[in-house]
Amino acid sequence: MAAVPNLIPALPEIFLALTAMTLLMLGVFQKVDGDGQATARFVSYLAVIAFGLTILLVVTVGGGRKLTFDGMFITDFFGVFFKILVLIASALTLVISQGYLKVQGMARFEYPVLVMFATLGMMLMISANNLISLYLGLEMQSLALYVLASFQRDDMRSTEAGLKYFVLGALASGMLLYGSSLIYGFTGTTDFGAIAALFNSTAEGGPSVGVIIGLVFILAGLAFKVSAVPFHMWTPDVYEGAPTPVTAFFAVGPKLAAIALLLRVMIGPFGELAGQWQQIVAFISIASMVLGAFAAINQTNIKRMMAYSSIGNVGYVLIGLVVADEAGIRGVLIYMAIYLFMTLGAFTCILCMRRGGGMVEDIKDLAGLSRSHPMVALAMAIFMFSMAGIPPLAGFLGKLYIFMAAINAQLYTLAVIGVLSSVVGAFYYLRVIKVMYFDEPTDLLDRPVSREIGLVLAGSSLFVVLFVIYPLPLLAAAKAAAQALMGG
Amino acid sequence: MIIQALAFYLFAAVTVASAVAVISVRNPVHSVLFLILAFFNSAGLFILLGAEFLAMILVVVYVGAVAVLFMFVVMMLDINFVELRQGFLQYLPIGALIGLILLVEILVMVGGWALSPEIASAVAAPTPAPETVTNTHALGELIYTRYVYLFQAAGIILLVAMIGAIVLTHRRRDGVRRQKVSEQIARRAEESATVRQVESGKGI
Amino acid sequence: MYTFAIFLPLLGAMVAGLLVFVGGEDEERRARMDRAAQWSTCGAMSLASIIAMFLFKEVALDGNPYTVELFTWIDSGALEVSWALKLDSLAVVMVLMVTVVSTMIHFYSIGYMHHDPSIPRFMSYLSLFTFFMLMLVTADNLIQLFFGWEGVGLVSYLLIGFWYDRPAANAAAIKAFVVNRVGDFGFMLGIFAVFVLFQSVNLDTIFSAAAGKADATIQVFGGEFHALTVIGLLLFVGAMGKSAQLGLHTWLPDAMEGPTPVSALIHAATMVTAGIFMVARLSPLFEYSETALTVITVVGATTAIFAATIGCVQNDIKRVIAYSTMSQLGYMFFALGVSAYSAGIFHLMTHAFFKALLFLGAGSVIHAMSDEQDMRRMGGIWKMIPVTYALMWIGSLALAGIWPFAGYYSKDTILEAAYAAGSGVGGYAFWMGITAAFLTAFYSWRLIIMTFHGAPRADERVMAHVHESPKVMILPLIVLAAGALFAGYLGFEYFVGSNAAEFWGNSILVLPGHDALENAHSVPLWVKYLPLVVAGAGIALAYVMYMFAPGLPAALASSFSAVHRFLLNKWYFDELYDLLFVRPAFYLGRNLWKTGDGAIIDGVGPDGLAAATLNLARRAAKLQTGYLYHYAFAMLIGVVSVVTWYLFTRAG
Repeated sequence: MAAVPNLIPALPEIFLALTAMTLLMLGVFQKVDGDGQATARFVSYLAVIAFGLTILLVVTVGGGRKLTFDGMFITDFFGVFFKILVLIASALTLVISQGYLKVQGMARFEYPVLVMFATLGMMLMISANNLISLYLGLEMQSLALYVLASFQRDDMRSTEAGLKYFVLGALASGMLLYGSSLIYGFTGTTDFGAIAALFNSTAEGGPSVGVIIGLVFILAGLAFKVSAVPFHMWTPDVYEGAPTPVTAFFAVGPKLAAIALLLRVMIGPFGELAGQWQQIVAFISIASMVLGAFAAINQTNIKRMMAYSSIGNVGYVLIGLVVADEAGIRGVLIYMAIYLFMTLGAFTCILCMRRGGGMVEDIKDLAGLSRSHPMVALAMAIFMFSMAGIPPLAGFLGKLYIFMAAINAQLYTLAVIGVLSSVVGAFYYLRVIKVMYFDEPTDLLDRPVSREIGLVLAGSSLFVVLFVIYPLPLLAAAKAAAQALMGG
Repeated sequence: MIIQALAFYLFAAVTVASAVAVISVRNPVHSVLFLILAFFNSAGLFILLGAEFLAMILVVVYVGAVAVLFMFVVMMLDINFVELRQGFLQYLPIGALIGLILLVEILVMVGGWALSPEIASAVAAPTPAPETVTNTHALGELIYTRYVYLFQAAGIILLVAMIGAIVLTHRRRDGVRRQKVSEQIARRAEESATVRQVESGKGI
Repeated sequence: MYTFAIFLPLLGAMVAGLLVFVGGEDEERRARMDRAAQWSTCGAMSLASIIAMFLFKEVALDGNPYTVELFTWIDSGALEVSWALKLDSLAVVMVLMVTVVSTMIHFYSIGYMHHDPSIPRFMSYLSLFTFFMLMLVTADNLIQLFFGWEGVGLVSYLLIGFWYDRPAANAAAIKAFVVNRVGDFGFMLGIFAVFVLFQSVNLDTIFSAAAGKADATIQVFGGEFHALTVIGLLLFVGAMGKSAQLGLHTWLPDAMEGPTPVSALIHAATMVTAGIFMVARLSPLFEYSETALTVITVVGATTAIFAATIGCVQNDIKRVIAYSTMSQLGYMFFALGVSAYSAGIFHLMTHAFFKALLFLGAGSVIHAMSDEQDMRRMGGIWKMIPVTYALMWIGSLALAGIWPFAGYYSKDTILEAAYAAGSGVGGYAFWMGITAAFLTAFYSWRLIIMTFHGAPRADERVMAHVHESPKVMILPLIVLAAGALFAGYLGFEYFVGSNAAEFWGNSILVLPGHDALENAHSVPLWVKYLPLVVAGAGIALAYVMYMFAPGLPAALASSFSAVHRFLLNKWYFDELYDLLFVRPAFYLGRNLWKTGDGAIIDGVGPDGLAAATLNLARRAAKLQTGYLYHYAFAMLIGVVSVVTWYLFTRAG
């Protein structure tokens, strides 16, 4: 009989799973008064606390490289870095969701519970060390997200978004599974370590075609999750249709987890094959940057615009993966951390766009925001400037580290295209600022902004502005995480 | 031996044929029936492999539950499949082309199938010989020890699916009288019934 | 622990800054917030200045200089910059001076600004300014110095334009910012040059390497130049901007549009001395360049006399003091120019006290006269505000350099050092300084007599209203007056006297041969007494012209009308700049905008590119049909094409 596996490395995940189930039970058996808003709020805040505790657990368990569950589950500093980011993203999402849920009459306790399960899935993805655990984490996250996308079930757009995401997601999962089975067929194992060892030893003959094609399929499945071109088509529709806080969550949480997974898979088991997949990733990266920059220009809906913006951002991040050395990975990690705060902040601003009790989401509705909500407009301007890469804001530094890594690795084409597309991208970010500050307001947006939203806005904009003054902790953490990934 | 091979080719051929039929027949009910046929044949393939537990599960779960559910859905929702298929011909050429290319590529790939010697040793988790333990026992031993993590994760995925289904479809209706056992038992006669003196010819 | 002295003002500024937002409409709540802002900033500043005193004792008096590493800021290639506090004698003298004067001004502001609607904003700016100034003086590298430098520039802009509803204040703020930018550009080039030469911006590294680079040359515009001279001159351009030296001085008088405490804090006591401090701090660089030192001496001496002449004819009470500040800054610069750095810093310190005193006293007068600033509409009020009157006397005596007031010690030392330098420029500086000292005394007493004596020239309503300022304004003045009285006497031995060597430690470098300060103690007697004599003469002349023969100034002005107009218009500097720079810039700008940018560049570049971009954007958006099977197809096509591509490239 096998001994009981070491549960300590997976403690944060176990805690989160148990808490999620407990909260589910709490929600089910709570006496419902009225429309259940109080329960939803209560459960939401408990969930936020749970996320906080999980972060503590993640930190406590620590960054030493540990394997458990028969090598299917790995914890290392790389994982810790991403898990903390994901947990922060989830907690902040829940915090900024409250007002929206109430206004839209969709405040139900299942919402925080689903966010928790999605987060759990992301953590499993980050810790995956086996093709099967990779797939299970991915599905857990995706399934929860499908439901969240159509959470506003009486709204056509929301249900359509959920359905589209579900069907295409299933297709992507299919590709991923097909790729995994090819890999298993050609290598006889699903364990990352074993696969890596295999490529190390059979370096002379080169890997068989089947492995590479399997890798391509896995790459396609993961590229879908990070919405990289040409697997991005779902993004604008789903971002537009899904409830705004869910969109905010989509834009950060799954991206973080999928990028982590992508790095872990590409650098870990397939690191030896870098020469084989670099070209593919470079192509995806360029296509994403260019499409993200150009297609966003014509958008009138700000959520759609953010969708293209996130596609473009993924393009930049993938440059770091193409570089595939420690500097590149470090750039990706820094970029993702900054991206988290910029994006969540921008979506928080979008959540402030209410008029006459309802949400509005056209860019032109922002007109006159500088007069009706000067602080929100200022925060939004900071995020937009940062995304456009204006120094000395954090977004600029994030881009800088990625481009520097590309230049050091002599990938000049990528760097140049990256810079050019961020110039084009600046156009639509700055247009938002122009609308906010210089366009004549039509109808002013509702006041006031709730306290939790104000706090999130203040926090994230301060991070974006002040990052340049004291970047060291993040740089050091990213460096350690990158080393953990490259060394392991 | 020859019988086994014959059986394999029979099951495999019927599986593939019915899979094609699932997507090509016009009547959706027939589609589902072909799907059930495909399931049965897959179960047969499992039997040939000595995996009788999986075969039975396939029949019980997929045929007995899933496919029947499909059937219900198809018959209850009056979906106009002809309309849905309208774009089909329009995209057939390009779809066929892509399928063809992929097929060729996969053939190329399979043609170059070569397992290196190291791979044979790296084969994951050897199963015990079928003669020594029963199928169920072997599965259980692996699922609850080695793959407990995957098993639990899969469980959570199912839980999420269940929550999702309830969230998306369940509606609380007002005015529904539910059975509340404790309240019903706690009721006393004097609370629910009153004795009135009714004058004849008047009513209450 | 000492680090708190630097960061407490920042804390205060942040607290007060946050209070700006919680005020709201409610009158009473606003008043509470105002008080909270005043208390938090004043409390933080007081604590900071107390800590600064201990710091001063520890570092300067006991001679324990040290550096506090906070954390690494930039680490990029050869450029390694940390946030660090370099606490040596020079720095702590400045820290002490800045915190004490700033604290006094904070308290004074409680009274002076009490009816202003945005008190928290004002207090927050004041504290923020102090923080940046402290960052500047404790900088351990040039980048951090520049951070503080730009920070004070920014807050100075905000404070000059504090009353942003007044067009004049806005114009003055913009002017200050733009003129400073010219200087900052020089400063930046200087920092770049330092980095090129030394491969470092760390002060300690630079200083220890400076001697070795004494003969190094640097390529500028194709020519070979002595590197340290180039660096010195570039850095001095920066100092000229911030310290309002001739050429880049035009912003300082205009900056008087800001509230009076601002004028006292920024434009008299602290920010304008940043240039002096910077040159003194970088003495190990300047020492190796005779040319740079000569330029500094000449510019300083010329500024001293130039500003003094203008000061004699101005009628705005604050402008008179502003020009006197410029003139005194000139003194400090030529002291630096003759390598008497410690004398310059000594004067900087004493000047901070009596100039803040003068400004705040003037503020007190303005306050009493219902915001009247024109001296021609004052007069006859000395009996009504005796305390202010007495304090103004102390300030003026110190400014004129009358024994035993603080100014006497520092100004005399400077003049003696200039004489003792023995060089031609030293002599020029000495005689300019003597003349300026005469004029200084003259306009100071002109100010006192016009403001306080004679027949009242204000209307009755104002006169009826004249009152002594509240205690919260007077008490800081008394503290500053004590400084103006004793700072010179107490500091003399340490700063420039017999204890100077151990007091300064390593913070100032004077090469052998540059011994003007040593020789200053043994100059002829007439040199020692001449400043006193001319100051007395200046005072006497002022009494004659404005007290005993009040018709004389008008008669003089009309008979020498050309000279008077020349001085009144500040040597026509503003007009000259307007003609030379502003108008051509506008002209050029308009032309480039209309024809260059609008017609040529926009037509071909952005508009053409933008049209192409928009076109592309439309196409990209069209791909997004909304049909699920299109999306699925796109994904499949993507996978298949990648696989195909891969198979082909691998086969080929």
